[in-house]
Amino acid sequence: MPAMSPTMTEGNIASWKVKEGDAFSTGDVLLEIETDKAQMDVEAQDDGKMAKIMQHDGAKSVKVGTRIAVIAEANDDLSTLEIPAEEPSPASPSQEEKKSGVDASQSSESQAEAPPSSKGEDMPPAKPPRPSSPLPPPGKAQKQTYPLYPSIAQLLHEKGIPTSEAEKIPASGPKGRLLKGDVLAYLGRISSSYSSEQSIRITKLGHLDLSNAKPAPPKELAPPPSTKAQDPAATEKEKTETEIAVPISLSSVLSVQKRIQATLGVTFPLSTFIARATELANDDLPRSATAPTADELFNDVLGLNTVSSKTSRGNYMPQITALPGTIFTEKAGPRRQTDIYDFLIGKASSTIASRSIGVPLPGIVVGSKPGEATNVFSVSAAKGEEKRAKVFLERVKTILQVEPGRLIL
Amino acid sequence: MLRTLVPRAASRSAIGPCSSTLQPTGFCLLTFRGRGYATEAAEHDLVIIGGGGGGYVAAIKAGQEGMKVACIEKRGALGGTCLNVGCIPSKSLLNNSFMYHQILHDTKKRGIDVGDVKLNLKQMMSAKNTSVDGLTKGVEFLFKKNKVEYVKGTAAFSGEHEVKVNLVDGGEQTLRAKNIIIATGSEATPFPGLTIDEKKVITSTGAISLESVPKKMVVIGGGIIGLEMGSVWSRLGSEVTVVEFLGQIGGPGMDAEISKTTKKILEKQGMKFKLNTKVLEGDASGEGVKLKVEAAKGGKEETLDANVVLVAIGRRPYTAGLGLENIGLEVDNKGRLIIDEQYRTKLSHIRVIGDCTFGPMLAHKAEEEAVAAIEYIKKGYGHVNYNAIPSVMYTHPEVAWVGQNEAELKEQGVKYKTGSFPFSANSRAKTNLETEGMVKFIADAETDRILGIHIIGANAGEMIAEGVLALEYGASSEDVGRTSHAHPTLAEAFKEAAMATYSKAIHY
Repeated sequence: MPAMSPTMTEGNIASWKVKEGDAFSTGDVLLEIETDKAQMDVEAQDDGKMAKIMQHDGAKSVKVGTRIAVIAEANDDLSTLEIPAEEPSPASPSQEEKKSGVDASQSSESQAEAPPSSKGEDMPPAKPPRPSSPLPPPGKAQKQTYPLYPSIAQLLHEKGIPTSEAEKIPASGPKGRLLKGDVLAYLGRISSSYSSEQSIRITKLGHLDLSNAKPAPPKELAPPPSTKAQDPAATEKEKTETEIAVPISLSSVLSVQKRIQATLGVTFPLSTFIARATELANDDLPRSATAPTADELFNDVLGLNTVSSKTSRGNYMPQITALPGTIFTEKAGPRRQTDIYDFLIGKASSTIASRSIGVPLPGIVVGSKPGEATNVFSVSAAKGEEKRAKVFLERVKTILQVEPGRLIL
Repeated sequence: MLRTLVPRAASRSAIGPCSSTLQPTGFCLLTFRGRGYATEAAEHDLVIIGGGGGGYVAAIKAGQEGMKVACIEKRGALGGTCLNVGCIPSKSLLNNSFMYHQILHDTKKRGIDVGDVKLNLKQMMSAKNTSVDGLTKGVEFLFKKNKVEYVKGTAAFSGEHEVKVNLVDGGEQTLRAKNIIIATGSEATPFPGLTIDEKKVITSTGAISLESVPKKMVVIGGGIIGLEMGSVWSRLGSEVTVVEFLGQIGGPGMDAEISKTTKKILEKQGMKFKLNTKVLEGDASGEGVKLKVEAAKGGKEETLDANVVLVAIGRRPYTAGLGLENIGLEVDNKGRLIIDEQYRTKLSHIRVIGDCTFGPMLAHKAEEEAVAAIEYIKKGYGHVNYNAIPSVMYTHPEVAWVGQNEAELKEQGVKYKTGSFPFSANSRAKTNLETEGMVKFIADAETDRILGIHIIGANAGEMIAEGVLALEYGASSEDVGRTSHAHPTLAEAFKEAAMATYSKAIHY
């Protein structure tokens, strides 16, 4: 006799809807049970056959847990089937398991699992049918602090179960919420573990699937430990960079600087001239042969810079050396960066310590006669960008040598 | 040899038109101190690399939690792919191109005669830019409001707790942090043999900013991005052909029944499909692009001509230049950063969220993870339910789903039942003359618990929210079916589909 509600201790069999030997499929109504509260259908949990009916139509006050019938697998031969003894052990054969919907076993687990009877009777409380196999722990019954889901409220009312009983039903939903499946299991309409097994499956789906992580094979060339502190991208870039240098005379800049000082009484440092010339020269440089990077295309689409198809803004920053170099020397190899701390504390150059405002940048040769003030401006260009870099330097040269005055006025 | 750096930053602001005449003397020195090489700042509680949908949300959340947080972004704008070149601009174009298409083809039967309809693509693009601009500024405002330090530059790890930033305005800055979140996102996967120039061979990025309507467009990849952008240009007059390797469109998550319906509707709108078709090679050297294709299972070769080819075969994690190897962080064979369930890398103070790690590449997934990651740092637990993350395709009609589809459930051997309701039986859809599509529920055969919801219809993207909520709460189809939905609304179809799952729909 299945327990149709937690308080049910006995029931009457109203009528059997199947006869011995009948086959039935999942969801078919097997029998009707009457309790003092309501009349309920018992549905088949699986396809099967009715092997033997023990308690026939009209049987009164059948205690919960009493065997009322035995069912067999759909393909079992009933004539050869042995009906097992009345008290099945928990590790019963497979045939026993099939009875789940109809015959609630009275294994020792039942007391632990079932909600305690509210009336405190001495009958072992009934429990929803237990399945076989290693079980996931079903959710614990707990106080439902949220309003009951509409499907549950409906079911409980239909079955005449007071809603206060809801918190005695094992709940398998998220955060211990009671689900429709839990109530169906509790009513014995579905196998009791199904709902909790399903919850475990769905909870698993809720987690990020990290099972397919296969670490990439280590890179062929591990960076040597000495470059560890450096940005590896930069290290790589430097290898393919070429340094391009152009000698540029600063004499006309100096004369302009003097003239401005004489007329306006303001001194513009050389750096201002160079910075502004750099700025101008960087405008609309011819595009390099290499394809634009994804970043450039991205920014282009965003309109973050004004990239036209033929030209683009450069970001060259010339390095200036006092040594007169050969014209258009191109030497490959890593360039050395001035350490900024050395620079700031004056180690990088002996002239820096005594440098005062208005005095040209360290490392720049200042001569009064044309030709004497020649400095080498150099930039490093990536492969394929040499032409672009040359154009840039030529422009800087033109600006600084021909009309430096326009940079200021 | 003495070398000197010309202060690059100095020039930017100073040069302008020659009006800014008198600079303060000592300009050079000031520049060095102020912008170039910042002195080491105090340690941050959290530094976030990437200001996209994952990164900026994490930054704001961290700010709200009272952390000292900095967010590093190398583009000139916050919001990442989604806000700048993804979800947002594409939705602007989808909406406006739909209106154009509707005015051309649909208003007459509704009793609206419209005269001369002309497309002003430039204005359509600038409307899009206005939306994007507004939203990006909005994020910047939220940064200020929540005291997030915004660092513009390119970040690379220089130590386990240290990030070196190559600033956009020149110079370098080193940030030290107790915690670091990597949220560098993804980039479009290129098609081997075709060089992306975003003019003729484009990704989704180029597809939102074409300067004219191409006569013929071929889309490689029939996933969500391909179908959305294909729709836009098809509506604006392009002849669009979608080439898909698999036997269904919409990607693997879309339910097969929904996918078939979608294909039928899109075909009716004028898009062409070549399923089970492989692109062998492409040649963009001529005026247009030539693509050689053949049936995926072998078959006759065919050449497709196109003015523009949209490569939409997926996206891949973007971690280039981040200096992962400097601190020994690992990626997997797909380039995804390897993490645990709490988003931690093997250095437990460095977490990874969003497209550059595992899971679906969706902005809202990254946002969920962003909040969860901050909560893991601050509270020890964060919640993301990966089974309840919706997918939406913003074609017309829209397609949206959450949870599992029929094929996935069959594969797992789960017994289920389905219930669906067509919009053609929904009163609101009838009055709107938008009756294409349906709502489909998939629920467990035994417990009635909802396992998946799949919608195709005009309002699917909004309607799916209810489905996500239902899934999150473990609801059964009966729970939805017993919940009142206003009449007359499209959402009634949602309720009726639920009713059809556990019992019967009323109106069908």
